[in-house]
Amino acid sequence: MKSLKVLLFVMLAAAMILAACQPSQPAKPAEPSAPEQPAAEAPAEPAVDANAPVKGGTVIVGTPQEPGTLSPLLASGTIDDVISSFIVEGLVGIDAKGDYVPVLAESLPTISEDGLTLTYKIKPGLKFSNGDPVTCADVQFTKEAILSDLSGASTSGYSDIDSIECPDDLTVVVTLADVYAPYLRLFQYIVPRSAGDLATLDTWEYNRAPIGTGPWMVKEWVAGDHITLVPNPNYREEGKPYLDSVIVKILPSREVGMQLLGTGEITVLWDLTEADFPTIESMEGVDWAGAYYGSGENELLVFNFADPAVDAPADPAEAPHPILYDLRVRQAIQYAIDKQKIVDALLYGNVKVGSTVLPTGPFACPQAKSEYSVEKAKALLDEAGWTDSDGDGIRDKDGVKMSLKITSTTGNQLREQTEQVLAQMLKEVGIELVIDNVPSDVLFAGWDSNGLRKHGRFDILLYTTGPGTDPDSHLFSNYHSARIPTAENNGSGNNFSRYINEDVDKWIDDAAFNPNMDARREAYCKVAAQINKDLPRVFLYERLVISGYRTNLQNFQVSPGFADFTIDSQNWWLKP
Amino acid sequence: MTQYLIRRLIQSVLTLFVISIILFGLISSVPGGIMSAYEENPDFSAEDIARIEAKYGLNDPVPVRYAKWVGNILKGDWGNSFVSKRPAIQEVKDRLPNTLILMGSMLVVTLLIAIPLGIISAIKQYSLFDHIATTIAFAGQSLPVFWFGLMLIIIFHVTLRRPDGTPLLPGSGMVTLGAPPSLGDRIEHLILPVSMLALVSAAGYMRYLRSSMLDVIHEDYVRTARAKGLRERMVLYRHALRNALIPLVTLVGLDLPSLFGGALFTETIFAWPGIGRLYFNAALKTDYPVVMAVLIIYSALILASNLLVDIFYAVLDPRIRYS
Repeated sequence: MKSLKVLLFVMLAAAMILAACQPSQPAKPAEPSAPEQPAAEAPAEPAVDANAPVKGGTVIVGTPQEPGTLSPLLASGTIDDVISSFIVEGLVGIDAKGDYVPVLAESLPTISEDGLTLTYKIKPGLKFSNGDPVTCADVQFTKEAILSDLSGASTSGYSDIDSIECPDDLTVVVTLADVYAPYLRLFQYIVPRSAGDLATLDTWEYNRAPIGTGPWMVKEWVAGDHITLVPNPNYREEGKPYLDSVIVKILPSREVGMQLLGTGEITVLWDLTEADFPTIESMEGVDWAGAYYGSGENELLVFNFADPAVDAPADPAEAPHPILYDLRVRQAIQYAIDKQKIVDALLYGNVKVGSTVLPTGPFACPQAKSEYSVEKAKALLDEAGWTDSDGDGIRDKDGVKMSLKITSTTGNQLREQTEQVLAQMLKEVGIELVIDNVPSDVLFAGWDSNGLRKHGRFDILLYTTGPGTDPDSHLFSNYHSARIPTAENNGSGNNFSRYINEDVDKWIDDAAFNPNMDARREAYCKVAAQINKDLPRVFLYERLVISGYRTNLQNFQVSPGFADFTIDSQNWWLKP
Repeated sequence: MTQYLIRRLIQSVLTLFVISIILFGLISSVPGGIMSAYEENPDFSAEDIARIEAKYGLNDPVPVRYAKWVGNILKGDWGNSFVSKRPAIQEVKDRLPNTLILMGSMLVVTLLIAIPLGIISAIKQYSLFDHIATTIAFAGQSLPVFWFGLMLIIIFHVTLRRPDGTPLLPGSGMVTLGAPPSLGDRIEHLILPVSMLALVSAAGYMRYLRSSMLDVIHEDYVRTARAKGLRERMVLYRHALRNALIPLVTLVGLDLPSLFGGALFTETIFAWPGIGRLYFNAALKTDYPVVMAVLIIYSALILASNLLVDIFYAVLDPRIRYS
């Protein structure tokens, strides 16, 4: 009896762990153009006006995930960064359109001719929530903290910093050892010296109650339940924030959150998907705000150029994929897909059809939309030697059936529907698409965890990714031949297609070491055009970051940067 | 008896040890893990990812990680959560009172429903009442809890409204956020999750008590009691029920560890910040220090309650002797 209980228990535990299929997308900071919300300007001047902000009140923000930490040095999930943005700010930030803007600095940094010296001017009179002034020494401390042993932050760019000089309290002179082209992304958060000793960074009180310059600070965090934020008394804008408090409520799921948003138990619901449009639109007093993910998060297809039976080959030419290695087949697949139909039928026409790796932001490079033509698809497949010799409706060649597996994340209704529509469209031209989904943690697993992307054990993947505000690291890790995951490089890199194009490699390398924005833009544009010719990936549609909110909440908008819906929270107020 | 106790204790420790190896092995073999959070983030270079992996000790082989983990446990250190970076045991302690409130209320309500229904069903076997109660019990046991919970929310939170238009009952959490704390508010928040749990588990207890009561009613001593001319009430409650309850007490005793474990589905659906939900979220994020802490404490409690029940048997029933 006892052993049975123990066994049952172990099985239960195992089942729960295996059930760890999280229906979440790989989300990420990004970029621009709010589709629906006009950029909410600062509210009207104090006047007798129905639209004058009303002070007081509480906004309850629902999130299906609890932040692990609010320290930008340790953040590991999107929600960590989002909630942290209520409190923590940097010298620069990303505005609602996805452009870099100065926040604590007076202007964007100036850069020297040789691209090695950056100079920031801090706005005078700024204070942290604990009353300490914001000075250059805090910027120095931030860099040391990022590079310290216990930090879990991205060190890109910071590891290139040679020194930070402080000619005076408000002037920051950063000297780089190497040119770091995406330098604008540096110092999007500042950690004050008063946060603590770097040797104990993991256990700082700061991690759950950061000291920041933003409109809010943490009053209480009840683990698993809610976080209460109250106004920062030292916030730089007089009389703001308008609200008395913001409460972040941890919810069990998006579905429950949607019900609570409908009943008004919560005011804001974070992280909706395009599949939620009809529900939102059917609820009274509820609307959504969204922004295109930072310079083009696309929902996309990733083709494997290499044979999925071979473990992580460095060059697909030596182990080519029996079907997908042929460019004509990839072209045929793109011709066979009616992207507009997917957008209209599944996304209610609310998003744009995908056409390029760089659709928006400072490096946008628009490309022509792909053509939908069943005839051209069929002609290309015939030309490539794929014919239906046995009359079963599926093409074949040399005894190989034209059957491909598509893999995405389980539990995501929109993706499952997309896959079914794709299967239907490809069937039209004689290609069989077999759906074989896995939990997101399995899909995005790393090399050591035997990740199927890293080891190249797939035909076609369907997920979302995009370049962020500066495409440097994304293009390098996703399209550069040096970033094909293999045993030799311990599986680093995200070039899962195993795509090799020497020109693309060269353009990406050139842009990475050139601080000249125009030259970089031109190089990235060539990359974007070449990708559409070689088709390692097919861009289906541009993703949105969406949050739902009750319409009595004023000035609610969503930014493509990691601040997400917290942007402008100092201007939130509740219409009575 | 002392010898038996010592032997059982040693066995329990060994069992716990084996459990920990199995659990650790299972968790370590789950694909994905905490590092997947960084894989798709363009800001994190391969070097950053390698450094963070090393910081968590995730690049050690599994046996080495297990040895380190056991070594720390023996020193009383359960490790830090990968997600919150706080001590795993602190995460458990924070949620324990919430889970005890929920599960304690659930147990009381369950017994209040199950005992009377079980008795009446047994006494009036095959009556209309028995048939209805049995049908409801089977329905209760076979309801998918997840669906049932969502139905409760849709009916009592979304659809039904108070005269002022606010929801009839709160649909999530432990208290109304932003409102002053009050006992009434707490109880309101307990109603839906406790109903959901109690209806499902009362069904099982009720069926159990019914059959145990039926057994006892046909015993010789009950007939003797009746023959003595005792009133029927006296016979049922003094003689039959007392004996019929003994197996139920065992059953409840064995279920006590679940008071700690919490109710995974209920806590998840009703956003109850308890241990079940902590465990669920930690499992989703492969936050193995937290997952292991919850599982090991739970396993230890199950072993302990089994041992206690066995000892109590010996104390209660003179026929049982351990040697």
